[in-house]
Amino acid sequence: MRALQIAATGMSAQQLRVETISNNLANMNTTAYNARRAEFADLHYQQVSRAGTVNASDGTVLPTGVQVGLGVRPSAVSIYLNQGALSQTGNDLDLAIDGNGYFEVTLPSGETAYTRDGSFKRSAEGLVVTNDGYPVSPEITVPEDATSVSINAEGELYAYFSDTVEAELLGQFTISGFTNPKGLEAVGGNLFKQTEASGQPTTTDPGSDGVGTLRQGYLEDSSVDAVREITDLIEAQRGYEMNSKVISAVDQMMSATTQVR
Amino acid sequence: MGSIGYTTLSRQSGLLNEIQVVANNIANSSTTGYRSEGLIFSEYVKSAPGQESLSMGRANIRNTSLEQGTLNQTNGSFDLAIEGDGFFMVETPAGNRLTRAGNFTPNAEGDLVTADGYRVLDAGQAPMFVPGDAETIAFGSDGTLSADGQQLGQIGLFMPDEEAQILREDGVMFRVEGETLPADGAQVLQGFLEGSNVSTINQLARMIEVQRAYEMGQSFLDNEDKRIRAAIDNLMKS
Repeated sequence: MRALQIAATGMSAQQLRVETISNNLANMNTTAYNARRAEFADLHYQQVSRAGTVNASDGTVLPTGVQVGLGVRPSAVSIYLNQGALSQTGNDLDLAIDGNGYFEVTLPSGETAYTRDGSFKRSAEGLVVTNDGYPVSPEITVPEDATSVSINAEGELYAYFSDTVEAELLGQFTISGFTNPKGLEAVGGNLFKQTEASGQPTTTDPGSDGVGTLRQGYLEDSSVDAVREITDLIEAQRGYEMNSKVISAVDQMMSATTQVR
Repeated sequence: MGSIGYTTLSRQSGLLNEIQVVANNIANSSTTGYRSEGLIFSEYVKSAPGQESLSMGRANIRNTSLEQGTLNQTNGSFDLAIEGDGFFMVETPAGNRLTRAGNFTPNAEGDLVTADGYRVLDAGQAPMFVPGDAETIAFGSDGTLSADGQQLGQIGLFMPDEEAQILREDGVMFRVEGETLPADGAQVLQGFLEGSNVSTINQLARMIEVQRAYEMGQSFLDNEDKRIRAAIDNLMKS
């Protein structure tokens, strides 16, 4: 009975949807997290009687025929790249990107990863690093005796020292933009890696070439919309139940068949 | 005598096809741009010389509901929904196909592609290009694509010709055997996706109907079996 398998594909699709929703809800307060959404497409069709089949000797053809679908498959779990709200933190190394693009960080393996989470800290050596301790690329070092730092919208980092009046330019934050940011591979820890699908990054100063500008003292909130997720969850749950009803209906039909003799 | 069983059997196998169609509709109740399908049964008359005519049922027409699905707001810049009659055209290795699923994304080369990676075509049936460094992407209601206020192209909306055959394919696509014409009445909505147009209530009701009709057919076969058995028993006794 194919109807059983069809309903099973429907149930596993709804299950994937619930998994995606629960991950979104779990990351409701993750800095710069973007909601994911499961997308589905139908499976191939079985031709029971083909459209265009000649039906009579005078050349009458079947206008539509009979095609029976074989279920559903997940086509993508795609990232929704909505700008999250910016919340003020007051920390002078907290940066939010207002617009498109990613910060570039260097992993311990030497690989490059990308992130929108700008909650940077200073390492023991004064290097600007992420929460996990990975240095931002290009590297910026803030000396211990700097009294305060100021980062402008274009990414220039100035430090103030107690013995000078003028601020000193210490470094420049850059932002990497991608042709297809949805194609980036999420590796956890708010990090993404470049893939074949995302294309090569274009790394520029904030505010140019379509990338966003920086806001010092702010962090980007998670863009998960709880109300939306809950309504989706209800839909997914009912969808799951409906598919299970199909399974029990087919089961009863089958038992009717076996009871004939 | 045997024809009674065969008539019921034609109904039973049609119902098995139909429960499969219902299962497929319910399985695709969350598929973007999915069009609900149904079966229409027709009478199939067979008369042999000197006998009464006998009619069997068979599924011979599939109908695809072209009703508008619900529009879900996603706010994605490349999520497009069509309001009205019309389809997007995508380029697949097997030829051009029509689809209502507008969950597009630019690929690494900047071409607008579907979730399966097939390129979306514009009004002149050429691939759509989206610059990667654009800050804002906007689609007008006629499908005009503009990046940072600069007009770049127009996404194509098409309709199959009235006489064309439409075949369903996987990936929520339709193959058209015949002409396709530009669709004039349709509108493109950016930031929305069209949900599946399956009415789950109707499908569940249909499922119950099919199930009961199937059980009825089986009890008919059951009674027929008993009748023949009783006839044989009585003939043996006499």
